Amino acid sequence: MAHLQWIPCRFVALLGIALAFHAGMASGAAPVGICDDATFLRRISQDLVGRQPSPLEIDAFLADASPTKRATAIHRLLADPEWASTWARYFRDVILYRRTDDRAAFMAKPLETFLADRLHADQPWSHIACQMITATGAASEHGETAIIMAQMGETSDIAAEVSRIFMGIQIQCAQCHDHFTDRWKRQQFHQFAAFFPRVEIDRSPGQGADGYTVVSRDHDPRRSKKKPDNPRRGDLEHTMPDLNDPSQPGTVMQPLFFLTGQSLPLGTSDMDRRQAIAKWITARDNPWFARAMINRLWAELVGDGFYRGVDDMGPDRTAQSPEILDELSQAFADSGHDVRATFRAIMASNEYQHASRSRVSHEREGFAANCPQRLRSDQLFTQILAAVGVDESQVGNSGPGKSEKKQQSKKPRDTHAGRRQLNVPRAMFTQVFGYDPSLPREEIVGSIPQALLLMNSQPLSIAIDGDRRFTALGQLLAANKSNRDVAEQLYLRTLARSPTADEMKTCLDHVRLSVSREEGFEDVFWALLNSAEFVYRK
Amino acid sequence: MRSHFCTRRHLLRMLSAAGVSGALGWGNTVSLHAADLRKRGKACILLWMQGGPSQFETFSPLKEHANGGGTQAIATNVAGMQFAEYWPQAARIADRLAVIRSMTSKEGSHPRASYFMHTGYLPNPSARHPTLGSIVASQCASHLGGMTGDLPPVVRIGSRGRNDSGAGILGMQWDPFELRDAEHNPANTQPMVETDRHLRRLDLMERLDRGFAKELPQEVADHTALYKRATRMILSDGMRAFDLQDEPQSVRAEYGEGGFASGCLLARRLIESGVSFVEVVSNGWDTHQDNAAQVEKLAGGVDRPFATLVRDLERRGMLDDTLVIWIGEFGRTPQVNPRGGRDHFPRSFNAVLAGGGVKGGQVIGRTDTAGIEVTDRPVMVPDLFATFCKSLAIDPTVENMAPSGRPIKLVDSGKAVDELF
Repeated sequence: MAHLQWIPCRFVALLGIALAFHAGMASGAAPVGICDDATFLRRISQDLVGRQPSPLEIDAFLADASPTKRATAIHRLLADPEWASTWARYFRDVILYRRTDDRAAFMAKPLETFLADRLHADQPWSHIACQMITATGAASEHGETAIIMAQMGETSDIAAEVSRIFMGIQIQCAQCHDHFTDRWKRQQFHQFAAFFPRVEIDRSPGQGADGYTVVSRDHDPRRSKKKPDNPRRGDLEHTMPDLNDPSQPGTVMQPLFFLTGQSLPLGTSDMDRRQAIAKWITARDNPWFARAMINRLWAELVGDGFYRGVDDMGPDRTAQSPEILDELSQAFADSGHDVRATFRAIMASNEYQHASRSRVSHEREGFAANCPQRLRSDQLFTQILAAVGVDESQVGNSGPGKSEKKQQSKKPRDTHAGRRQLNVPRAMFTQVFGYDPSLPREEIVGSIPQALLLMNSQPLSIAIDGDRRFTALGQLLAANKSNRDVAEQLYLRTLARSPTADEMKTCLDHVRLSVSREEGFEDVFWALLNSAEFVYRK
Repeated sequence: MRSHFCTRRHLLRMLSAAGVSGALGWGNTVSLHAADLRKRGKACILLWMQGGPSQFETFSPLKEHANGGGTQAIATNVAGMQFAEYWPQAARIADRLAVIRSMTSKEGSHPRASYFMHTGYLPNPSARHPTLGSIVASQCASHLGGMTGDLPPVVRIGSRGRNDSGAGILGMQWDPFELRDAEHNPANTQPMVETDRHLRRLDLMERLDRGFAKELPQEVADHTALYKRATRMILSDGMRAFDLQDEPQSVRAEYGEGGFASGCLLARRLIESGVSFVEVVSNGWDTHQDNAAQVEKLAGGVDRPFATLVRDLERRGMLDDTLVIWIGEFGRTPQVNPRGGRDHFPRSFNAVLAGGGVKGGQVIGRTDTAGIEVTDRPVMVPDLFATFCKSLAIDPTVENMAPSGRPIKLVDSGKAVDELF
């Protein structure tokens, strides 16, 4: 297998060709062909910066005759700070949707900040993982403590999550019994957990709801964790409980990494334990560290992973198209776990750029087609703001917007209250639309509160008002005499494409039959924002 | 079904225009209709005492021990069954209540215990266990061959607690529909435009999605169906259930004042309208100081609505099919602390059940005289969940798949408390 350089773009393009070749060799359907330019631009924009392209970006891209314009567009969006934010939010959800304690919910912001900052600075994934595994400090200022906080310092749960998130191996199945289908023994899980028994969370009194600090406890047993029914809990060493008699002290476990057999003596300090396991997990020659990331990103970008579960892999599972997985994983490791370069490589591949087919379609076998995905909550939120022309910095300010103060509204509505409600923070939106991104995507379904929020909330209803100067629709109607132009613009703003002739006719007919031009276009705008097509990335 | 609905709506409009709906007993009309809707399916109301209610100041008073904290016990309408003095209304319906005084668990932290008491499982990062409401609603629906009615099947009234959990592995369609309080309409349910225009918009949306439907037929069909359901809900007569003004003043007065009273009344109205499960939250039970005084105040807001709810369900012939549960995260320490408070105590606590086939007027289990150890008939949390299942005719061994591919039973190896039935 050719050794691939990662940084220069032309080699990345080569990698794309290599992948296509492999896919052709693999099983499955004949490729459905490369998607058209408009679909491509919408797809990479949603995937990289979490929103649809603007009408200006669409015009420029469609008019560009350069044969390398796709690579250039990927490059441009990857450099956007929103790329780091978009994927920080994705990994925030990967970690926090598995929290066992809602007191850790406040970690969303610090974690997002930590990840966005590190991704934007091009820190290798291995460094980011090490920082999270070895994290200490005030939780609200150290987003890297999030995995520990999400599990409230529970030894076994931290071990389970570190393995799942960074290696895609669900070794916690072996916590109570030897794994049923995989090779992992119960003892191996507890040896792995033995890297984390000295992690402790201190609650600082009077520090408010987020006054937690992650510390190493290397001396006194941790009294806070003592329980009458489990005298060993909180000890400086991890013990494997005796299943036949849980009241017995159990077996003290020596830290040992199940993949390599590397171990540490009992009595090793917390920081030495965590630094050692972080180093061993993120080592270049640990294939599972690279594969876990490649499998996740591929699943998110192409539609499904090489392994069915994005976080359930391991040596006893079978991958589809393993040669692509191996090549990409090797290249990822060789690049020093460069995240941005991985996006560039995957997106340059034919598998990524194929037209899409429904998840249930046989035409997708062997990655012969991309797969439409329901947008994640943050993508949808950003996309709605972009469509209605509201900047996120305005959301969250209370009180009326500047433009509104000057305007007299014709309609007798309490515009100020509405404006304030438009300031629904991203987090509130996520409460309604969020989902655990590690779940199989076909299990994610819509809910009634989601439909109600999109179709019938006051803020959105005001945002699509055609009668106001500060709304995007109001401005479009004032600037364009032609209904055809307005319909075209609404399509570009929402679905990032032009309407077909049929769709144009449907829209124009609807407007003609409406009470007023404003009402007619409000309905069109509403219908586009609420359409299934708007909620999916193709 | 649809035509039946329209007819009834028109009928009710006419009736209310004529000003006779009160006289005719609008409530009775609705309850008949509700029974028809759920085809006499089971329903459940969970009264959740957020914070962990003291067993000693509620339904397990300690008369002859210092740990009783001086709280008086009062007689009930069942000989030999005594409640704490702050529950005079509940005492009058004790013959409908079963008190379990031997609940026992090991979870003394709010989030973990809240999760445990809502799902029957301890939190675990590998699977989100479904909350009781989602279990009940999804099982009721599967008995009846799918979701029924226009209202959401699970409703939670009151501020969102920590770790009270959602539908988890059952899927978002069974997530509790949340209301901050019972006095206001649920979010985004007031139609923003006239009905005709809303329907025209939906039609336009469907037509503009046709191109996309060629690519993703199933997803677009699901999307359209969801929008139709949401629309049916906000335009349905069932939405009247949320309007407590509809209720005769005499009934409102019987439930009493305050948010929890409104919540209980709304719970009854929702169950009548075909909702399978309603949770009503009462806040503030984490009484680390001034326990007795605080519980007196808290009970003042819960006692009357709780008793009225049970009586009201009975009057309407709904109690046999509706299980009412009164619980919190855990109990509180037998020893009163220096600030006059009681701290977290999962080792022994209590739970109260009514309706749903549970025989009232009985006490299950006991503790020692100091209120510390369970000395008779310990009931673990999974046993309590198995009991819920028995009452609601749900098979506790039904399995759902966790993301890791591990099957998870509705209830983890608990055994129902058979004496209750």
